[in-house]
Amino acid sequence: MDRQGGAPASPPHPGPIEREQKPPALWLPRLYLRLLGAQVRSQLVYRTAFALDALAAALVTGAEFAAFALVLPRFDSLGGWTLGEVALLYGLAELAFVLMDLVFGGFDAPNLSAHVRTGSFSTFLLRPVPLPVQIFGSDFALRRLTRVVLAAGIVAYGVSRVSVTWDAGDVLLLAGSVLGMIAFFGGLFVVGGTLTFWTVESVEAMNVLTYGGRTLISYPLNIYPAWLRRTFTYLIPAAFLSYFPVLHVLGRPLPDGLPSWAALLSPVVGPLILAAAFAFWRVGVRRYHGTGS
Amino acid sequence: MNAALLRRAGGSHLRPYLSAARLSFRRQFAYPAATFWGLTTNLFFGALRVAVLLALFGTRPQVAGYTPADAVTYTGLTQAFLSAFSLFGWYELMRTVHRGEVATELLRPHSFLGFWLAQDAGRAAAQFGLRGVTILALYGVFFGLKLPPGVEGWTLTLISAVLAWVCGFAFRFLVNCAAFWSPDAVGIGRFAWALMGLACGFLMPLAFFPGWFRTLLAWTPFPSMMNSTVEVWLGHAKGGEALGVLGVQAVWAAALLGLAQLVLARGLRRLEVAGG
Repeated sequence: MDRQGGAPASPPHPGPIEREQKPPALWLPRLYLRLLGAQVRSQLVYRTAFALDALAAALVTGAEFAAFALVLPRFDSLGGWTLGEVALLYGLAELAFVLMDLVFGGFDAPNLSAHVRTGSFSTFLLRPVPLPVQIFGSDFALRRLTRVVLAAGIVAYGVSRVSVTWDAGDVLLLAGSVLGMIAFFGGLFVVGGTLTFWTVESVEAMNVLTYGGRTLISYPLNIYPAWLRRTFTYLIPAAFLSYFPVLHVLGRPLPDGLPSWAALLSPVVGPLILAAAFAFWRVGVRRYHGTGS
Repeated sequence: MNAALLRRAGGSHLRPYLSAARLSFRRQFAYPAATFWGLTTNLFFGALRVAVLLALFGTRPQVAGYTPADAVTYTGLTQAFLSAFSLFGWYELMRTVHRGEVATELLRPHSFLGFWLAQDAGRAAAQFGLRGVTILALYGVFFGLKLPPGVEGWTLTLISAVLAWVCGFAFRFLVNCAAFWSPDAVGIGRFAWALMGLACGFLMPLAFFPGWFRTLLAWTPFPSMMNSTVEVWLGHAKGGEALGVLGVQAVWAAALLGLAQLVLARGLRRLEVAGG
């Protein structure tokens, strides 16, 4: 595409300029899908290795949950929560996190810092394609699909084992919970990625919030010390994402006398964090110097 | 040969291994920031694991021979061994095979396996000194930590920890040998680490698992890679029983090292190094 066509001095020519200013509808989504397609094809070159990798991805999650499920019968319950109830929390958190990883993987600090260090990030800036689309399309790990399936299975197990008469509202609430979590953890990935503009080294501190946060909300928050639960409710609003919605579905009151509508806030809290994260991202991109490589 | 001569011959024979271990030890101190954040992450995850285990116990004084204090000590120990035993993956050998750097190492006039063992010994010792001891001290301050019973307990624990590291190293070495056969052995690695995490007792103490599962694991080397050391530390296995545990660990260590040597010889025979 000729970018100089729109020089301000020349009067507008309806033909070519119009075409440049208004790219065909769905241009960006189509481009994004093409980027994903290219990665999927490359990942399928070594079939056996891919199959093992995909199996291993599921086994990491599977082993953690299996260890918990194997041990629980000796103890009856986890802070008053049955295996089915914990499965619901655990499965929702895992499902949202792995979906987020598929979408936002390019922003994860190790990936982005590699681009910054090697200078390929500067190449992204030269291309006539919006920067976020390129980052979104830069790390799509197909092997994680097995984890999506496993997580969905754990949620299904949880749904079948809890004594809830499901209605459309409950289903919507949990769907909103997953969307909120995807936006929330996506926002954390964007913040972690942005920090690499300043530090170059990958930002290990963010792992406490991302991977640590995922583990934290995989279990009922009432089992943690009060200060930890309050930190992840009022300072970092992770409790709103899945703990409150699941409490609501199970018909239990929220802690600290919070009103029951607070359980509906996941689809609000998540996108707010994501919007703030992208504001920070724009500041980071403006300040970006490159490493000279 | 007199004793002095023997010592000198032995000394010069061991020198490359000792310097490999020493260099690898020193390398671990190169990134203090990474060590600090690694510690923070480790402690945070440790705190979450303590909360889950204590919530499982509830008001019970004891389950499967573990008191709540035992369970807290168990998480402290496993979190402390995490980096020393390199449980979350280790792909260094694999990388040298894929990059062809392995060819340079094969030119050296000493045992390939022994050299890697020495390097990993240095790495593990530094990681335990840097992170492990710090984590145990912080656990002692924040959560409380049970210590091995007496001098005998400390001695048995120390031997058991060294044997656990040898078993774990030999297993990691074996997994990395897959690189001789597969152009992309990383998946095999990820698979193996996940299996190891569950079966060595990192995710939950093996004593809590159902009987059939523990019987199954008893036939594998995995419990020897961590769970055995925890049981000796906690004094769950003491005296003759502890010696039995150490014996099993020693047999697995020897068997795994032997297998690693065998698989390595096979792998080297089919190694092709592309240009450089």
